[in-house]
Amino acid sequence: MVRFEHKRAELVIWLGDLKLGWSIEPRYWRNPLLGMALLAMLPLAFSGRPDFLTLITTANAFACIAMPLAWQMTGTGRLNFGPQLFVGIGGYTAALISVHWGWGPWATLPMAVLVGLFFAALFSPLTTLAKGLYFSLITLVLPLIFLELTYYFTGIFKGETGLFGIAPLVNLGRIKTNYIVSAYMSLVLLMVFLFVVFRIMQSRYGLYAAAINDDEEIAEVMGLNINVWKVICFTITSVMIAVTGWFMAHYFGTFAGVTFLPLPFMLKILLVVMIGGRGGIYGAIYGAYFVVILEKLLTVIGPTSHFLFPLILLILLFVLPEGIYGMIRRHRYREYYPTIRVRRR
Amino acid sequence: METIEFILVYALILGSLYLLMSLGFSLVCGVLRIFHLGYGVIFVLAVYGVWMFMNDLGTGMLPALIGMFVIQILFTLGVVYYIIVKRYVEQEEILLTSLLLVALVIEELINHLYPVTAGVNIPTTILSGVTKVGAATIPNQMFVVAALAAMITSAFVLFLLKTRWGYIIRAVSQSTRSARLMGVKVERVYAVALVLSIIPPTVCILVISPIWSIEPYLGTPFLETAILVSILGGLGNLRGTVIASFIVGLVASSVAFLINPRLVGLAILVMVFFVLVFRPEGIARSESLW
Repeated sequence: MVRFEHKRAELVIWLGDLKLGWSIEPRYWRNPLLGMALLAMLPLAFSGRPDFLTLITTANAFACIAMPLAWQMTGTGRLNFGPQLFVGIGGYTAALISVHWGWGPWATLPMAVLVGLFFAALFSPLTTLAKGLYFSLITLVLPLIFLELTYYFTGIFKGETGLFGIAPLVNLGRIKTNYIVSAYMSLVLLMVFLFVVFRIMQSRYGLYAAAINDDEEIAEVMGLNINVWKVICFTITSVMIAVTGWFMAHYFGTFAGVTFLPLPFMLKILLVVMIGGRGGIYGAIYGAYFVVILEKLLTVIGPTSHFLFPLILLILLFVLPEGIYGMIRRHRYREYYPTIRVRRR
Repeated sequence: METIEFILVYALILGSLYLLMSLGFSLVCGVLRIFHLGYGVIFVLAVYGVWMFMNDLGTGMLPALIGMFVIQILFTLGVVYYIIVKRYVEQEEILLTSLLLVALVIEELINHLYPVTAGVNIPTTILSGVTKVGAATIPNQMFVVAALAAMITSAFVLFLLKTRWGYIIRAVSQSTRSARLMGVKVERVYAVALVLSIIPPTVCILVISPIWSIEPYLGTPFLETAILVSILGGLGNLRGTVIASFIVGLVASSVAFLINPRLVGLAILVMVFFVLVFRPEGIARSESLW
């Protein structure tokens, strides 16, 4: 039995004996829930347009890379210039296994996680070995090395053309249904990532991450084993990015290193993080949708869009240094706002 | 024996080429202590600037060169320095992103105006023909590159060691704060360093343009090479950069002759990766530019 009751500044919903209250006054609204509801309605609203559904899925996938990256930048205190390395690792693992052994997406997922975990653990000591700009440079070089490898071992990775014939993410018979279900799967992935990252940033471990981001030495003096926490943070976030790579490989059905590994893709991810609001978790979602929608809108005006797109982003970067989310969060100044500094003093 | 000869000749030639590519980048690294990620666009502006003057405005070679340099200086000072570097020198994440974006805007604009099919061709051949070294043939123009690399590097070093401006630039590269205390207008030095950094890449791309494939996105691979050589050389140390470019040249030519030419890019990247991890200060650890 559902009853609605209007009380002063609150809408009360009774589900039998269970009482749920929703504040009517805007400043008490639960914005994340509203935002998620809005995102959940998008695929249904555009259910007749496969191109828009692809856009929504791409935006969700970008946010799924940018959110762990935002956590990683806070938790390691370093700017990673090569998050796409793990998109490549996750994607290629899924693609190779699927193409050669015919495994479906759910069978390749654990393999993508395992391989991602292996490489994340292998590279995680870099967070303690390399400082500041050097870490950024190493992470800039790593995806390029991987790209060269895909060209050299072109028999395995099909460097320039990419691997195709990867098992689709969902196969329900109708193409339209597949698109909608895929869009919802990307949304589920986004929500899982958002939940994990948000809860961790709210917890004691988030406090550790913030302490490391603010000043490593002081964090260490305070008794924090910074090396362990940096390694853990790098490993978990890299695996999350690898999972996004797995998703993209199965969603698009093809995977080419030349699409994901070079600098332009990294620039797009970096822009999602910067435009959304540096290091903000929710900002990554705003940023991802903004960048993807802007790119799509500009295709309308023809070939000039290629230079208008970076130009608009550049102007936005100057005008809104705190990003889009930064405008909203100015009212919530007591929350921790991570800083990104490439070179620390 | 012959193989060693090839390797050494090619190491010398490639090393000179890499040196010209990365000298300006290294200078900016040393003086401004930033990564000029918009460096690649200098190469593009050089080639397409000259082409625009010669093809669209019908000028001769010399006016085209002068016009191109004016455009380069206006772009570097007006856009790169005053709009980006001066404002965001302390906020590196915005600095690096916006430099990359500016480069992208220019490259896309040029690609829109002059697509690859425009057939850009600049008559800068100084020595035509090829020279046979054993069984290997080398375009003579590459020897011009080697000679120019030696000349420009010596000019830079002499300028830094012997002139008053050189002293000031070296002082800023050692310590910005102390230089400011001594009355140096640091911002002006930054602008001068940025303008000086235009010269080597412009000369490099103009000289190799007859034997290189010219397209609007050629800046990115050059920028990558410049980054790698500068890292190896110790980020902004010119002596280190000179040594590093010849080491990279030697590695490139040895890998190409002894193993597989397709492995050259990978070999250089792996070398830089290990240098970054185990010897991040590069070959020549030094607080100064030279």
